[in-house]
Amino acid sequence: MDAALSRRGFLLLSACALSGITALGLSEALGADPSLVILDNAKGMVLADPSRCVGCQRCELACTEFNDGRAQPSLARVKIERAMNFGPEGPTGGAAMQGTWGNGLVMQGVCRQCPHPVPCEMACPQEAIQADPQTGARVVLADNCIGCRMCQRACPWGMIVFDEQRHKASKCFLCHGKPKCVEACPSGALRFVPWRDITREGRASGATLPALSADKAKTCVECHPTSPK
Amino acid sequence: MAATPGGFSGKVLRVDLSTGKISTQDTVDRYGDVLGGTGIGYQVLWEEVPAGTGPFDPANKLVFATGVLAGTGVPCNGRTAVTTIFPTCWPQPLVASGHMGGQFAAKLKYAGYDALIIEGRSEKPVWLFIRDKRVELRGAAHLWGAGIRRANLEISQEMGADCVVAAIGQAGEKLAPMAIVANSLSHSAGGVGGVMGSKNLKAIGVQGSGAVRIAGDKDEWEQLIKFHLSILGGNNQHVVPSFPTPQSEYYNPGSRWLGEPGKRWGAAQPPIEITGNIHDLNRIAFRTNSAAFFLGEGAWQHTVRGNGCTACPIRCHTIVKVPSVAAKYGIREIAQNTCVGLLFGRSFFKTLPGGMKGQTALEACMVGMHLADDLGLWCNYGQLQRDLQKLYHDGLLKAKLGSAEYASIPWDKYEAGDPAFLFDILPRIGQRRGELGQVLSQGTAGLFGQWSIPEETWTQDHNTLYWKLGHPKHHANEDDGQCGVIINTQYNRDAQCHSHSNFVRNGLPLEVQKRLAAEIWGSPDCVDGVGDYTPMNLHKARRARWSLVRKELHDSLGLCNWMGPWVASPLKSRGYLGDDSLESKFYSLATGRKLGREELDRMGERIFTLHRALTIRDMGQMNMRARHDQVPGWVFEDPAGAPPFSKGSIRMDRGDMAKAMDLFYKVMGWDKTTGAPTQETYSRLGLREVGQSLRAKKLVPGDAA
Repeated sequence: MDAALSRRGFLLLSACALSGITALGLSEALGADPSLVILDNAKGMVLADPSRCVGCQRCELACTEFNDGRAQPSLARVKIERAMNFGPEGPTGGAAMQGTWGNGLVMQGVCRQCPHPVPCEMACPQEAIQADPQTGARVVLADNCIGCRMCQRACPWGMIVFDEQRHKASKCFLCHGKPKCVEACPSGALRFVPWRDITREGRASGATLPALSADKAKTCVECHPTSPK
Repeated sequence: MAATPGGFSGKVLRVDLSTGKISTQDTVDRYGDVLGGTGIGYQVLWEEVPAGTGPFDPANKLVFATGVLAGTGVPCNGRTAVTTIFPTCWPQPLVASGHMGGQFAAKLKYAGYDALIIEGRSEKPVWLFIRDKRVELRGAAHLWGAGIRRANLEISQEMGADCVVAAIGQAGEKLAPMAIVANSLSHSAGGVGGVMGSKNLKAIGVQGSGAVRIAGDKDEWEQLIKFHLSILGGNNQHVVPSFPTPQSEYYNPGSRWLGEPGKRWGAAQPPIEITGNIHDLNRIAFRTNSAAFFLGEGAWQHTVRGNGCTACPIRCHTIVKVPSVAAKYGIREIAQNTCVGLLFGRSFFKTLPGGMKGQTALEACMVGMHLADDLGLWCNYGQLQRDLQKLYHDGLLKAKLGSAEYASIPWDKYEAGDPAFLFDILPRIGQRRGELGQVLSQGTAGLFGQWSIPEETWTQDHNTLYWKLGHPKHHANEDDGQCGVIINTQYNRDAQCHSHSNFVRNGLPLEVQKRLAAEIWGSPDCVDGVGDYTPMNLHKARRARWSLVRKELHDSLGLCNWMGPWVASPLKSRGYLGDDSLESKFYSLATGRKLGREELDRMGERIFTLHRALTIRDMGQMNMRARHDQVPGWVFEDPAGAPPFSKGSIRMDRGDMAKAMDLFYKVMGWDKTTGAPTQETYSRLGLREVGQSLRAKKLVPGDAA
């Protein structure tokens, strides 16, 4: 059933994706600046194997140093630091503790490059999150970002970072198809693989889409009418 | 905020526990000439801690300092130097540093601080909360008396799971000189825990969300880091594997590069096979397995994974899982540490059932880590264990200790090699219970001071590995002949220098080492085969100088001198040459201030010379040659009576070593008679005022007459 759904999703996406909108006349139907809702699926994604992670944070540092010229794990688009000490359980002292103080396992945080509806993109009131034409990675267009943090709120995986200095959000953009984190891992715990939907696997942090702008809601109705057609 | 172009975080944080005052200073303005790490430590002690200050006096200061490269992606960073008036130094306390890895250095930098200076003494137990610009002292009454693990847990609950906590255990609280401060479970700085305890400071919790900026071009930075990764070997920069393989021209069974394809991390779930090309940069973490190196082949099946410091691909701490200890001793089945920390428990025993690399030995190691890393007890590079062994087996303990206390110790378990013995002896020492606890918690100093055992009893016995000033040898003549001996004369604790030993033990054949040595230090004669020593020459003195300078440089840049320097490499295509100028290349790119290799080495020499000046000032005398730079008697003896310079013997010759010191003092620009730096040398290194200040006390050669 999942497979059927994703096929249908893909068809919808193909029909409604940016290039198709004009052809379908949706642009006219929705007014001058229609909200973009559906993104093409990403072509690839970073896959993490916790059992191989050695907690060195070289991926976090490669992400920020080689892309941004600064070493700053808080801005890394791959997440190790937060899971290193105790894992998702936190410092409870309980048997489920992971990380250095628990069973040693480090659950890396990686962007799943979610399929439609893409939580971060749906939440953005500025259409600042779009699919990279080359890789399909969901990327933040810094020029459009107004720093409202709605995307950060929306991501169920806690993978949106916020640069307090520039007042802009950022997220994994797959380094234009050659992820630096993957290259940096000394234990092969990160791999760049063809995309598949892993948003129903693993434990999300529980964040939910807090709101949908009126413009976007209007677009949604095109494919998801409020009453059955 | 005035941001530095890069490398430095920009501020030094100062916390006065007596007044509660918290302030900051500009790192580069104030301490730029000494880089960071031990450099800042020595400068603070020179300027602010008067000669004669005791380790536990409120006037003593505790300087936690990282360096420019800490917190970046430069391989093998992650180090914090903790400099203070050191309590285990005998017969008088002198300046020294403990060093810890883990995540503390990076977090402190991300919080915005290159260093943290702790002053005074709090009236009540406190812990220090650092979250970026927010710095507070918080009550630690609920933590006082707790072990390091509980302190970590509760502070992490209060701050958040991503904080790093450097804490002391009961040993530090009780002002044991043999106490550590530790962060990230197993990363400890020895000897300084009691100083923290004397200040009523239980712990330092740090969270940092900021950046260490890279001033230079980011692509150039990326290329340099990738180059550094390409010339990395295994642990201690051993650049050839320990096993024969078609993938490497050379191998050496003594190498710590153990990750042979076919081995597996047996306790990972599921186990991880080591496969593929041993040079693959995405497999560096598999090269080293400290547990297997120190505990033997059986450790592979207990290996969960490697662990270690921020950004270091050489994971020298191994997480090991030994389920049997949970049932037998009621302790956690998982532990981690490296080197002497890993061996803490095992090293107390002369023999163990199944041998020193058997299952009982492994369990003794697990019990040792469980106890020592929670009590916060230091081993003084294994001296604590060797001391207990000698005291017991030579009958000294029975003679010195009251009969009731002696009888209360389960010596039957000790004799039988039962790890349960450790549950008695370690808390005794860590909590300073009874006379034995009081004495051993002072380190070897306690034996000489409180029990009046003559120091010669230790210096004449090779088995003690004791060197001087209360501390043991650390890579001396057993690794590197005269160079090793010179280096071991220089510090006020064990030397902790690896620049020299990491080269001679890198596993390459001697002829290749000699070819590299000629390129790096100007002559093949500066290197001998291990245990096949030739008489002293000037080139060896130069290499000893280079080794010490690089040690201080690494300690002041946040780099690991256990892993570096990187002057040899596994790359046949480079003729096995590494890069002698990596440090200056990284420094230049990170800070935007271009410094060549010689200029940066000069800064390292300045830092090392400041250590010398502090030692001279605090000893109140400049005759370092006679009073400080001693060599223990066992260095000049051979158990089989072999003469010096015979192949297979590490025996040194007294006349030759005297010449070695002459040459070393000469290349340092120090006075040959006293071994004290001259005013000219102080001035050459930008330490004119330091020299003048010592001159006023008649502690500079040439002025005494």
